[in-house]
Amino acid sequence: MTNEVIIEIKNLKKYFPVTSGLVRRKKIAELKAVDDVSFAIHKGETLGLVGESGCGKTTLGKCVLQLYRATSGEVWFSGVDLCKLSNKKLRPLRRNLQLIFQDPFDSLDPRFTASDIIGEPMRIHNMQHTPEYRRRIDELIQLVGLSPNMADRYPHEFSGGQRQRIGIARALALQPGFIVCDEPISALDVSIQAQIINLLDDLGDKFGIAFLFISHDLAVVRHISDRVAVMYLGKIMEIADRDSLYDSPLHPYTQALLSAVPIPDPIVEIKRKVIILSGEVPSPINPPSGCVFHTRCFKAFGECPKTIPQLVDVGVGHQVACLLYQGPPAKPK
Amino acid sequence: MSDAPLLDVRDLSVNFHTQDGIVRAVDGVSYNVSRGETIALVGESGCGKTVSALSILRLIPDPPGKIVSGQTLFDGQDLLSLPANRMEDIRGDRIAMIFQEPLTSLDPVLTIGRQITEALERHRDMHGHVAMEEAIRLLKLVGIPQPDQRVKDYPHQFSGGMRQRAMIALAISCEPELIIADEPTTVVDVTIQAQLLELIRSITERLNTALILITHNLGIVARYARRVYVMYAGHIVEHGSALDIYQRPYHPYTKGLLASVPRLDEPRKIRLQPVEGQPPDLIQLPKGCAFGPRCAGCTDGCRESSPPLIEIAPGHFAACS
Repeated sequence: MTNEVIIEIKNLKKYFPVTSGLVRRKKIAELKAVDDVSFAIHKGETLGLVGESGCGKTTLGKCVLQLYRATSGEVWFSGVDLCKLSNKKLRPLRRNLQLIFQDPFDSLDPRFTASDIIGEPMRIHNMQHTPEYRRRIDELIQLVGLSPNMADRYPHEFSGGQRQRIGIARALALQPGFIVCDEPISALDVSIQAQIINLLDDLGDKFGIAFLFISHDLAVVRHISDRVAVMYLGKIMEIADRDSLYDSPLHPYTQALLSAVPIPDPIVEIKRKVIILSGEVPSPINPPSGCVFHTRCFKAFGECPKTIPQLVDVGVGHQVACLLYQGPPAKPK
Repeated sequence: MSDAPLLDVRDLSVNFHTQDGIVRAVDGVSYNVSRGETIALVGESGCGKTVSALSILRLIPDPPGKIVSGQTLFDGQDLLSLPANRMEDIRGDRIAMIFQEPLTSLDPVLTIGRQITEALERHRDMHGHVAMEEAIRLLKLVGIPQPDQRVKDYPHQFSGGMRQRAMIALAISCEPELIIADEPTTVVDVTIQAQLLELIRSITERLNTALILITHNLGIVARYARRVYVMYAGHIVEHGSALDIYQRPYHPYTKGLLASVPRLDEPRKIRLQPVEGQPPDLIQLPKGCAFGPRCAGCTDGCRESSPPLIEIAPGHFAACS
């Protein structure tokens, strides 16, 4: 890992219009899926992004890759702001930006063979006539731990873990510098998950790929990430180095998330105190005022519904958006 | 707690007939649960944990499924030999079920209130206002805000966590003696998962209800189950107290599973230790031990015949030679 930034996101916002009316669609509200998010990922670094469903983590990943066009904000990659580029100008850059999907069943075309699927990115970039094409496919198949005689099989002939390996090979085909992994293991069996995590780990090290690793599994994110960001209702609540975040979580939401994860050991579990958050995640259409987490926070105080906390650095790159850590006047009850 | 278990499943086998051949989804499985006790059936998709629990309620679609052998003794009575109408008396009344996906298991065209009153009418002889009052009380009990309003809502008007709460209200409406919870929190988030599991725990403790928890999540099992059955390819490969299973796992599959998951309470490992290989194809199971092809200690004996469950310590059984 170097200090060179590969991709930088500045004040990214993605609002979806909420419409009503069948014929004349009127915009009645906005769903703030991603609301003013900024961070940078360094070369070869893995940034874990955790949060509950609907917090905007997938939307954020898609905005970074320009699969969604952001409402506002900037995404800087190799010296240009991707948000300002036309689709045509984006295309040559896309080979450096890849995506690994959650569901290895829906994300592979059932009518393509494994080698067709893995070769598709190269065909899109008109590389199928080069002598390398076939050789590269064979190389990729072996790289992800499949055997070469599987190249001409169709997706349904593979197990879930093997299918995810095909998806990974496809993402690697054009030697990208940055890959978004959107819940890459949550559809897999427990005994297979570790295989895929190790594979991603190895490939990241070998090729110096930077990952944005989106997941709701906090233990897996801790294993694979160098830094971790916690998202809630479209905003980043806390972002820090892995060890700093897991060893001393500052934001009450991060603390609750970590304590909610059961540990596979009954002796540990008996002694553990779990923070049970009340209520559910509010709607992103009409998020709470002030700190969006205050309706469920066990440390909320008078100021929380009034003031929006900013993400502030509390030392060694540990940033947290909570009024408890924002200077002298705030005091918890 | 009396000595005889509330539910005693003996040597249950369930086959599914498919175009490609017969799937032995559950093959000679025995387990039991006492009053007030929580047990867990753990395993990966396709290991037979759901089928072995659905068989208790005779909810296996036939065809293609068929219970080919075994007994399910509930309070001394074999449910598999009961006539259909007697089974209906028990289902939802003395044994209730919490399904994984409440959106598909609740009826979309009935209000939440109606679904609960339906059960109350059928099993508790409550009608009209009385039943509706009871439904509101139950929704309040499971923590649904404004239950007198929400009782008129349809399932799609509830969020995922709320639907699962409604499902729990429905399950406990007749104060069952046994609740079967099939992956009750797999589709909800961790903070909601913690809420729901605590709710289920407090209810089963208060009503002294037995609970069969079906899950693939080893953490949930460690937090809630007293005894654990580990399943692989239609067989129980190991069972014992939660302490036995987690502290002294014996079967290579149990060991492999426990070693493969990263733990938040331990120092971060440089590398995870996966269980190598692929899950078995249930139509073409290998001869002998189904885990053999993925096992480092597989011997010629294992390949020849499947090792039986042996008591390796008091109350701790494993099927490995």
